[in-house]
Amino acid sequence: MAVAKESHWTQPANDAPMARRRLLAWLSSVGLFGSVVLAAASNWFFFKPRVTYGPNARFAIGKPEDFPPGTRISRDVERVCIARDGNKLAAISTTCTHLGCIVGISDTGFACPCHGSRYDQDGNVTGGPAPKPLPWFQVTLAPNGELVVDKNSQVEPGTYFTL
Amino acid sequence: MRLALAIAAFVVLIVHGVVFYDQFFHRWERHQTAYFEQARSLSKNERERAELEARAPRIEQVIVTSFGDTRVDRCTTCHLAADDPRFTNHGEPLKTHPYSTAMGDVFRDGRWERRHKFADFGCTVCHDGQGRGLETKYSHGEDEFWPDPLAGYATQANWRKDFAPKLKGVEYMESNCAQCHTATDFAGTPNVNRGRKLFYAMNCYGCHKIDGMSEGTLGPDLTEAGKKFKIDYLWESIVEPRANLATSFMPKFDLSEGDVRSLVIFLKSRRGVNFAETSLDRYKAHVENVAVVIPPGTAGEKAGEQLLADRACTACHKLRDKDGGIAPDLSYEGLIRDSDWLMDHFQNPRSRIPDSIMPAFRFPGDDFQRLSAYLGSLKTPPAPASAQTTYQALCMRCHGEKGDGNGKVAWYIDPSPRDFTKAAFMTPKPRERFVTSIKNGVAGTSMPPWGRMLKDEQAGAMLDYVLQTFTKEPLKELKPRNLPEKNPAAGSKESIAHGEQVFLERCTGCHGRKADGKGPNSLDILPHPRNLRNSWFVESVTDRRLFESILYGVQGTAMPSWMDYGLTQQDVGDIINFIRSTSKKTRSPQYARN
Amino acid sequence: MSDATKETPGGLAVLRELPSNVWNSIFRGPLPSTDLERSSTSFTNFFLHIHPVKVNRNTLRPAYTLGLGLISLFLFLILAVTGVLLMFYYVPSTTQAYDRMLDLRGTVAFGIFLRNMHRWSAHGMVAMVFLHMCRVFLTGAYKKPREFNWVVGVVLLLATLFLSFTGYLLPWDQLAFWAITVGTSIAGYAPLIGKQMQFVLLGDTTVGQEALLRFYVLHVAVLPAVLGLLIAVHFWRIRKDGGLSRPEKAADPAPATGVVKMRKVYGLQGFVRGPFTKVGNVPDDSVYSWPNLLLSELFVFVLTVSVILVVSLMFNAPLEQPVNVMHPPNPAKAPWYFLGLQEMVSYSAFWGGIGIPGIMVALLLATPYIDRGTKGVGRWFAKERLMANTIFLTLVTLNIIFIVIGTFFRGPNWTFVSPF
Repeated sequence: MAVAKESHWTQPANDAPMARRRLLAWLSSVGLFGSVVLAAASNWFFFKPRVTYGPNARFAIGKPEDFPPGTRISRDVERVCIARDGNKLAAISTTCTHLGCIVGISDTGFACPCHGSRYDQDGNVTGGPAPKPLPWFQVTLAPNGELVVDKNSQVEPGTYFTL
Repeated sequence: MRLALAIAAFVVLIVHGVVFYDQFFHRWERHQTAYFEQARSLSKNERERAELEARAPRIEQVIVTSFGDTRVDRCTTCHLAADDPRFTNHGEPLKTHPYSTAMGDVFRDGRWERRHKFADFGCTVCHDGQGRGLETKYSHGEDEFWPDPLAGYATQANWRKDFAPKLKGVEYMESNCAQCHTATDFAGTPNVNRGRKLFYAMNCYGCHKIDGMSEGTLGPDLTEAGKKFKIDYLWESIVEPRANLATSFMPKFDLSEGDVRSLVIFLKSRRGVNFAETSLDRYKAHVENVAVVIPPGTAGEKAGEQLLADRACTACHKLRDKDGGIAPDLSYEGLIRDSDWLMDHFQNPRSRIPDSIMPAFRFPGDDFQRLSAYLGSLKTPPAPASAQTTYQALCMRCHGEKGDGNGKVAWYIDPSPRDFTKAAFMTPKPRERFVTSIKNGVAGTSMPPWGRMLKDEQAGAMLDYVLQTFTKEPLKELKPRNLPEKNPAAGSKESIAHGEQVFLERCTGCHGRKADGKGPNSLDILPHPRNLRNSWFVESVTDRRLFESILYGVQGTAMPSWMDYGLTQQDVGDIINFIRSTSKKTRSPQYARN
Repeated sequence: MSDATKETPGGLAVLRELPSNVWNSIFRGPLPSTDLERSSTSFTNFFLHIHPVKVNRNTLRPAYTLGLGLISLFLFLILAVTGVLLMFYYVPSTTQAYDRMLDLRGTVAFGIFLRNMHRWSAHGMVAMVFLHMCRVFLTGAYKKPREFNWVVGVVLLLATLFLSFTGYLLPWDQLAFWAITVGTSIAGYAPLIGKQMQFVLLGDTTVGQEALLRFYVLHVAVLPAVLGLLIAVHFWRIRKDGGLSRPEKAADPAPATGVVKMRKVYGLQGFVRGPFTKVGNVPDDSVYSWPNLLLSELFVFVLTVSVILVVSLMFNAPLEQPVNVMHPPNPAKAPWYFLGLQEMVSYSAFWGGIGIPGIMVALLLATPYIDRGTKGVGRWFAKERLMANTIFLTLVTLNIIFIVIGTFFRGPNWTFVSPF
C-alpha cells in the first residue's frame, strides 16, 4: 500500500505491526469471504424445495392383475397412460410435449385437443406441432406386489416392464 | 480491534460451516441408505438391484385430504420398508407394517394385500403423531406442545410418571379406528365398545353429555373429549377427579385399571366429528333430545327393577349386593320415602335435597313412575338386632364406623353427616331433637326418616348407643332460655330489607352472599355453614330454634353467638324474616320441576 | 485520450478492451490509496457518501456510543434479509400458517436456522434500540440541535415495537395467538377510540384470519418501509446536526485579531448551510471516515452477525401448540417487552395499558423541549444533568422491574408465584 504524506494512518517505525495488520486483514477477508460463499450456497439449497405439495411423482397403480393384456387406460390425475401388451407394461406420459395439455387416447394412439398434435401408440409424433415424442416412465414392481410408476425417471421409449 | 474483527469473522465462518453441515446428513437419509443396501441384498434380479442403486435418499410424503384437514404424512421417509413384505423381522424403523385380517388385510396368491393402503390413508389418521416432522422428537409427538402424540407409543415429558406406563399399548389406537368404524359392536374396537358400555354402566351418562348418547348437564360435555384432551389428562380426570379442579364433586368410582383404560380409549374416540357420519347424521345427533339413553340391545325395561339395573343406579347407590359406594343405600327405600318424594327427587334431586350431586336424569315420565313404584316396594325392614348391628346396617354408611361423620359416602353428601364424636356439638342439644331427627329425618338433607323402621324405643336405643359409643359424654342439662316461640317481628317489606342488610353485613362470610352456605369461609369449616335457601329445612325449623341458633350460636360449630357481637332480638327477627322470604322463592314449582 | 482524435476502434480491439471498458464504466478510478483519494471517493460514492468525509474522534470511541445504534441498524438488516427469505415459504392463512412453520422447522434447508436468526434478532433489536435510547439520553445527545432527531428516534422505537408485535402473531401457535389477544385488548382500553382502533387493527372483533392478514401486511411491507424511511431521516439528521454528539471542548481558541476566517469553498460545499468540514481553520480532532469509521462499522457488523449466528445455533425459537381458540393458556402473557404493561394492566386496565405508557411516550417526545439546558452534552452521567438522568433511570428501572415481575413472578390466574 502506498503511503502518502497526509495519511492519518499512523506509520509505525518498523514494518512488523504493518505485517500484522495485513495478516489480520487477510484473515478477516478469508473469514468473511468464506462465510459469504457458504451463505450463498445455503441460499441455493434454501430456495430449492425439498418437498412439494402436489401429487406424488412416484405412485402405485395397482396389481398386475388389474391390467389384463390389451389394456390401454389413461389416469388423468397422474397424467399417465398405462398400456399392457401381452406381458409387457408401459407407462406413457399424457402431457403433450408441445405446450402441456393432456392428450386423449385415440384409435391410432394419442391426440391432443389443444393444437392438434398426433402421436402413435408408442407416443411417437405423427402429426401436429409437438416437437418431441411422449416420454415413457419407469415402471417397477414393488416388493408388496404393486406396480409403481416413477415420473421422475424416464426410460427410452420402447422399454417395457416385463412381468 | 482488527484482531477482534478477525476473530469475529472466523466465528461467523465456523458457524456457517456448522450450520451447513447440520442441514445435511440427516438421520432419515441414513435410514434410507440402509434400506437401499438391504433391499439390494434381498433382491432377486439384476434389474431390481440397478434400480435400487440409482435411488437417492429423498423425503417421502403422502398427502391425504379425505379426512377433514389436509394431512401431510412423511413417516415413510424413515419407515421406508413399511410396505416391503421382506422386512417383517427387521428392527424399526425399517420394519414392515404388520398385516392382519383384523385390519381387513387379505392373504391371496401367496402375498398379503393391505386393506388400508398408505396412499389412501397416510399414517397419522390411525397412529396420530406429527406427519410433517422429520425428526423422531417431532414426528412421534414427543414434543409436549404437540397435541397428538403417537397413540399408545409416545409419552410426553410433562405427563405424570405414575401414569406413563399405563398409557402405552397398541389398544390406544382403537380410538382412531372408531373415527370411521362407529358400529357399537365393531370387532376391531373392543376397548371402545367396553368403554361405551361402562359409560352407561358406571352412570357417567347421568352427568356428562355426549352428542347422540346422553344429556347430562352436571359435568363437562364430553362430545369432543378426545379432540380436546390427551390420554394422560383423560386418565387423570377419571382416577383423580379433583386433580385439575379442586371443587369438582365428580365421585371417585371403583374402577379397575382395565376399566379405566377402556373408558379412556372410548373417550379419546369422541372427536365430535366422525368420518363415517354424514353432516346430516351429525346435525341430528346434536339437536335431537335423547330420550332413551341406554343403547338398544340391553335387557328389556319392563319392571322398575329392570330399569334400575339398566339405568345403572347402583353405580352410585347400594341395593342388595351391588354397591357403588357413593350414594345412600336404597334397600329400605319404601320404608323411608313416599312416592311424592321419590317422584320429585327423580325429576330433580335438588328439589328435595338442594345440595345433592345426583344428576337429574331425563328419562321418560313413565320410567320415573316405574322406578318409584319399585323403590316404594322395598319395604322389608332388617331383622331386629342389637343397636350396634342396626347402626352398622343403617347409619354407618354416612356417619361412619367410628361415628365421626366419615362414612363411605359422607364426602358426597351435603350437609355432611354429623360427627357424633364431637361432644361439644352433641351434648348441649335437647334429647328430643335427636329423637325427632331419627324418627322424622331432617328435611332437605339426606338424613331419612327412620320412624317407620324404628319404633320409639328403638330410636331411643339407637340414640343411647350413639351417645355411649361415640360421644362418650352425657347430654347436658339445658338452662331454659327466654326466646319467643314465634317471630314477633312482622314480615313486612321493611323488616325483610333490614334483615337482608344485616345479613349482608354479618353473615355472608360463611353463609355466602346468596345465603346458600357457599361463603368464602365455608370450605374450611366443618360442619359446613347451613344453606339457608334449603327451603325444606328452613321451613321445618321453628322460629324459636332460629332465634336460638343466631343469638346463642351453635356449640360445636363455627356459628358464633351473635348477641355477643351486638345483634339484638329485633335484628334477628328481621334476619329470620329475610331468610324465610328467600326460602319461599326457591320453593317455586318452576324450580322443582326442572 | 481525446475522443475527438482517436479513430473508432475496430473489431478485435473492441473485444480486447471489453473487460476494462466494462470495469471502468462502473469504477471510475483506481482503488484509492491516498487520504485525498479516499476522501474524494467517500464523498462521491453512492453508498459511502452517507458518511462524512471526516468524523470526530469521539464518535468512534466504543465506550461512548457502545455502537448501539449501529447494532440496531445491522439487526434490522439481518431481520430484513432473513424475513424476506422466510417469506418464500410462509403463508398468512389460519389453516396453513402453523403447518408452514412446521415445514420451515423440519424440511426446508436452513429453515430452522433462518427462523431462529429472525426471532433472536427481533428480540435483540427491541432491546438494542431501547438501550440506544438510554445511551442517547444519558449522554444528553438529544439537546439542541438534535431535538428532532430524538423525536424521530422515539417514533422509530414505537415502530420497532409494533414491528415485533405484528411479527409475533405470524407463527399462529398458542403463544402467538394469546399474546396478541392480550396485547390488542390493552389497546382497546384507549378512551373514545379504543374499541374502534382495536376493530380496525384486527379487522374483526377477535383475532382471526383478518388479523393475521393485516398483521402480515404491516409486518412485511408497511412497517419496514416506514422504518426504512425513518432510519434514512435519522441518519440524514445526524449529518445535518454535525455528526454525533461529543463533549464540549475547551473554548474555541479565539482567532488572532485581524485574521479573517478563511472559508475554502469546494464546489457545492460553499452553498451548504450548517456545519461542514472546515479545512485547516479550526483545531482538528477528526479522523478520516475511510478507513476508520468504515472499519468500526464493519467490526460492529461482524460482531452483531456472529453473536446472532451463535445464539441461533444454540437456541431454537419456540413453536408451541397450534392455536386453540377455546383454550387460553394459563397464564397468557404478552411478549416480554409488553409484559411491563400487562403487569400494570393487572392493577388498572386504563392507567396501566394506555394512561401511563401514553404519559411516558409523551414525556419522551417532549424531553428535548423541556430540558433546554446546554451543559453536560457528550459525556456519560454528566453531573450537570443529574436530575434528568435520575428521573430517566428511575422510570427505566421501574419499567424493567415490572417486566421482571411479569415474566418470572406471575403464574396461573396471574397470581404471584416464586420462580425458584
